[in-house]
Amino acid sequence: MQRTQVLFLVKFFVILVGAYLLIAWNPVNDRVIVPFTQGIATSSGALLNAIGQQVTVSGTMITSPRFGVNINNGCNGVEAMLILLASIVAFPASMKARAAGLVLGAIAVQLLNAIRIISLYLLGAYQPRLFDLFHTAVWQIVIILAAIGFFLFWSARVAPNRVASRA
Amino acid sequence: MPPIEWRVALRAFAGFVAGVVVWVMLSPLYDRMLAKGAEATLRAFEKPKVTRLRPQADQFTTVDRTDFDPRSKRPGISIRDLTFNVVLLIALFAASKRPYSDRNIGGFLIAMAILTITHLLAVITEVMSIYVGKLGMWSTVNYSDLQRNVWGVANHSYRLVLMYAIAFALWWIFRDPATAPAPAKTKKKKRR
Repeated sequence: MQRTQVLFLVKFFVILVGAYLLIAWNPVNDRVIVPFTQGIATSSGALLNAIGQQVTVSGTMITSPRFGVNINNGCNGVEAMLILLASIVAFPASMKARAAGLVLGAIAVQLLNAIRIISLYLLGAYQPRLFDLFHTAVWQIVIILAAIGFFLFWSARVAPNRVASRA
Repeated sequence: MPPIEWRVALRAFAGFVAGVVVWVMLSPLYDRMLAKGAEATLRAFEKPKVTRLRPQADQFTTVDRTDFDPRSKRPGISIRDLTFNVVLLIALFAASKRPYSDRNIGGFLIAMAILTITHLLAVITEVMSIYVGKLGMWSTVNYSDLQRNVWGVANHSYRLVLMYAIAFALWWIFRDPATAPAPAKTKKKKRR
């Protein structure tokens, strides 16, 4: 493995652990992550109501007479955003390119996450047998794969001669 | 702007589906294997040796200790909640331009072996996080705040981000660089 690849991985893990410790710190969790997750619940609830599901949102809970979901850490897309943050910041690129990558990547992750929450609610309400599989494994991996895919795409965009797979 | 390589995306999707099927089918056997390994490792550091991990018919594994009151409830853990990152690893290696090349398969097998070790450590961390913080007064009496924080953070960080980061890093290290999924290069304009 080349030195640049090792350096990328070291930076990736240092940034990832640092970012994790920051969001796991109670004041940050209570003032940033929880309100952010409530915002996700509110917007997902609005989308579910728009497609005819009569749900009510309370904090991070989306409920209806059929089913209820509580959006916790791990279901709010923050984990994928941390992977994206660590990989983009660790990759050699200009600050402007990194900022653009982070903003666009975060939007993409959250759009996909909204689809995840809506589909999980619908699965829980109409196909509860499949809920656990999709909740535990399928959607988690899809979101992370999307984040990694976005990173590879972004790295080729900002540094075509130094794309992530050969960095 | 580099085009999206749809064939790479398709291979990753096929790998993802295959990964989910393999993971679902092999999980009962794999859970038992990890439970045995974690139990042996935990007992190697215990005096007296008291931990018993008992896989149940559902997906849970009961955490038992021979020094506990037999009438008290035993906590359960879901080992497969700690192992599904194998699907991510399979999907990433499947996205390679030559997924069946010797180098890609060799790299995948080495990565898989290391991932299994991290799964074993994750199960041990899960059990320790129960011991240090989820058994009420018994936890408070037997473990310090530092131990509670260390095992708690290790368990939470693994579940939230490290399990994905480990799979990504293993792919990064052991993939075939010549065939790894890289979006096509843009053509450079010639300078006059």
